[in-house]
Amino acid sequence: MIQQTSPEIGGMGHSVKRKEDRRFLLGKGNYVDDIHLPHMVYGQLVRSPFAHALIKSVNTEAAMRVPGVLAVITGEDLAKAGLAWMPTLFFDKQMVLATGKVLFQSQEVAFVVAETRFAAADAAELVEVDYEELPVLVDPHHALDADAPILRPDREEKSNHIFHWEVGDRAATAKAFEKAPVRTEVTAVFQRCHPAPLETCGCVADFNTATERLTVWLTSQAPHAHRTLFALVGGIPENNIRVISPDIGGGFGNKVPIYPGYVCAVVASLKLGRPVKWVETRSENLQSTGFARDYHMRAEIASESDGTVKALRVQTLADHGAFNAAAQPTKFPAGLFSICTGSYKFPNAFCEVDGVYTNKAPGGIAYRCSFRVTEASYLIERAMDVLAYQLNTDPAELRLKNFIRPDEFPYETPLGWSYDSGNYAAAMNKALEIAGYRELRKEQEEKRRRGELMGIGLSSFTEVVGAGPAHTFDIAGLKMFDSCEIRIHPTGKAIARLGTKSQGQGHETTFPQIIAQELGIPVSDITLEEGDTDTAPYGLGTYASRSTPVAGGATSVASRKIREKARKIAAHLLEVSEEDLEWEPGKFFVKGAPSKAKTIQEIAFAAYTNIPPGMEAGLEAVDYYDPPNLTFPFGTYICVVDIDKGTGEIKVRRFIAVDDCGNIINPMIVEGQIHGGLAEGLGIAFMQLISYDESGNVQGGNFMDYLLPTAVETPYWETDKTCTPSPHHPIGAKGVGESPNVGSPAAFVNAVVDALSHLGVRHIDMPIASWKVWQILKEKGVAA
Amino acid sequence: MAVRIEKSFRVPEPIEKVWALLKDPRAVANFVPGAKITEALDDRNFKGAISVKVGPAVTDFKGELHVERVDEQNHEVQLDGKGQDIRGKSSASMKLIGKLNARDDGTEVKTVSEVNVVGILAQFGGRMIYDVSDVMFREFVKRFQERLQHIETEAEPGPSEPVNAAKVVSSALSRSVRRVFGGSDDSGEGF
Repeated sequence: MIQQTSPEIGGMGHSVKRKEDRRFLLGKGNYVDDIHLPHMVYGQLVRSPFAHALIKSVNTEAAMRVPGVLAVITGEDLAKAGLAWMPTLFFDKQMVLATGKVLFQSQEVAFVVAETRFAAADAAELVEVDYEELPVLVDPHHALDADAPILRPDREEKSNHIFHWEVGDRAATAKAFEKAPVRTEVTAVFQRCHPAPLETCGCVADFNTATERLTVWLTSQAPHAHRTLFALVGGIPENNIRVISPDIGGGFGNKVPIYPGYVCAVVASLKLGRPVKWVETRSENLQSTGFARDYHMRAEIASESDGTVKALRVQTLADHGAFNAAAQPTKFPAGLFSICTGSYKFPNAFCEVDGVYTNKAPGGIAYRCSFRVTEASYLIERAMDVLAYQLNTDPAELRLKNFIRPDEFPYETPLGWSYDSGNYAAAMNKALEIAGYRELRKEQEEKRRRGELMGIGLSSFTEVVGAGPAHTFDIAGLKMFDSCEIRIHPTGKAIARLGTKSQGQGHETTFPQIIAQELGIPVSDITLEEGDTDTAPYGLGTYASRSTPVAGGATSVASRKIREKARKIAAHLLEVSEEDLEWEPGKFFVKGAPSKAKTIQEIAFAAYTNIPPGMEAGLEAVDYYDPPNLTFPFGTYICVVDIDKGTGEIKVRRFIAVDDCGNIINPMIVEGQIHGGLAEGLGIAFMQLISYDESGNVQGGNFMDYLLPTAVETPYWETDKTCTPSPHHPIGAKGVGESPNVGSPAAFVNAVVDALSHLGVRHIDMPIASWKVWQILKEKGVAA
Repeated sequence: MAVRIEKSFRVPEPIEKVWALLKDPRAVANFVPGAKITEALDDRNFKGAISVKVGPAVTDFKGELHVERVDEQNHEVQLDGKGQDIRGKSSASMKLIGKLNARDDGTEVKTVSEVNVVGILAQFGGRMIYDVSDVMFREFVKRFQERLQHIETEAEPGPSEPVNAAKVVSSALSRSVRRVFGGSDDSGEGF
């Protein structure tokens, strides 16, 4: 149990208002595009209009004649410096600026630098590139056809196949399928979508010719890792690189990779000796930076006649675009997709994934998701519904029957995970009760009799977050620990620095709350800094809901190290032995004599003014936390939709979200995270798709086509929680940011399919726009 | 982005008079707003240029026009064109079939064009391509009809007017906007 601190201290469990919001609400945030340096110049990328074409020539003369233009860098220029290609985060390489040919529409071809943004943009229009169009590969299902164009002749393997990955027992699973009386399957595409953070990607690169130091202000979710990669790839000594991630306007995985624009800005600053700013437009962001999903999946379930599941088999084709720029831990080419057995007790499972190249933007980033968990969760939650329809049983009952029971944790899944803790039935029962599930089913029955369409969709997801333990998890070789350094000042105030980087998650509030919990220093007395590699301890950054599970662990352990030193100082001040002292948040007191006490503030002052003999001065600690396991948040979401049978229009009437993320640091922030993730899930389920036409033209490359949910589309979210702490985490927390994005798409889709299930509908691919529903209603003779 | 556009219109003229005009690729090209024939390679092959402005993107295409078929008996002509934007931003190809049918009150002109656009222009999607082609087609019809009248009154053709590409676009844009936000779709001019 977490000891409750006073509101003044504001430790865990208090809905402390976000400390960072004041500056954001007053327009005082400091984002990359707010950085203005003396003599700064501006970069603009020239991009390919074609999805696949040979570059016959690049003529920069007209561009160079535009007043104010300082340089036009081409792929050939970079090739001379050995920088035309860069490594991706996943054993592939990617062109910085194209040489020879382009592989997707909007690929980076040249970089114009000018005194003003406008001159750079005008000149970019004048760079003449002579292309010869090549056959285009758009459909991943044709990537391995004998007559498919080979997109990557630079690779040894002359094929569009990137990887095959499998996990589980193929033979035992096949056998279970043979024996099972019930078999069901669903084919589902988790469409290509994009995190579309409000702030696009960008940087200011400033190479100081006098000090030979490179400072890069970067929209980076992982500033330390990016510094190391800049050093390894660019050959600049790492001590001469400073990466600063200032305020970030949303990341959602989009700001994990290194993009060609960053590299070009650095090269241009090295070349010109001036600071170079490059910030993408919205369309550039949607069309060229890391997309998410694009998993083409098939799940089969074998079960007993009573619905007890016996085996799961999953086959997936992954479209990675032109380069494998997935941001995933090294040992996991399909991320943590093998979480696909979800909340259910499958005795057997087998999962295989094949990745292929197509003429599309590279990526495969984890959009508010621990590396393909969203795809996995969507698939199993869809498949469970399809099984329920086949057995003619209630989807809630089928889930309750197959849940892993609370007494079975830690639970070893057939695909290799060890779930830390869970109580799935408790979360589901709570959600069913809030929803009034039985009454809703009754209402649905009555409405069906009247010919009206209403659906109830469930999703009882299990998440895997907090990558990750060093023995299994690394990105580009860097182990996935994270860090916290805390310094207590003489007056008892504190500063903490972490290896993570907030992009809107509220770190400046939540991490100080952990310290407040552990040391009793009021949350308002603690400053938090992240994102400056010159000052913060090394860490792998913020994505995959890892900040609380990993850096939160570091924060807690570092605080406890300080508390142990504080105990020694308190014993010295109170002239008792350490064993005679007891701790309550904010002070040590002598056992049995609570008035004989020293506050943490008094102890801090003594650490600089009255140091026990033989002790080092100061009161500070650092911890590099290697989590013993991942954490497994879960929950049940219920969505109720009404569908207009004439138009196919879908109205989300209710959405109930019961989340369990273990112990909660700040309930208000958790709720805010859930609201945001649910809104994103709604967008994915109903509105969003980056599609390509048959020639590889992007059809979702702007906000006219790629829609974001606004207050108009977003329903009222009914949130609640259960609490099952993580047994291995120092404060029992599990992480929550991505749960709503992971768990909600299935609930939305299940609700729509449920509304149409009596017509024989078993699946509809996202995004489910009204026209798709209308077409089905027309086919079934329901709509006129 | 491949689109197929079918259009037809009627002119109060006898079929042979209309046919004489339709089978002349130079004349037809001149009726297309922003287009011109720049060089005749032979009777059936021409070099040409067309300027189209869609939103912020001005696209100057240069390309070739090939007369694939002139069917005197059925009054049908097929023109194949392909071109690339001179700045390398887009490319397009087109197959245009024009067919005449005699009617009591004149001649019906039926056109079927299959246009494939690749590149930046294609990102605007069908809605802009259809709208731009709508506006261009109406201009085409207007010029076609004017020219038919000119044949009666003048021996020499009048000069081909340069197209106001900006106007074409603003007109297409306003039609798109009105479709989304309500309002009638049939007033052709811009804001």
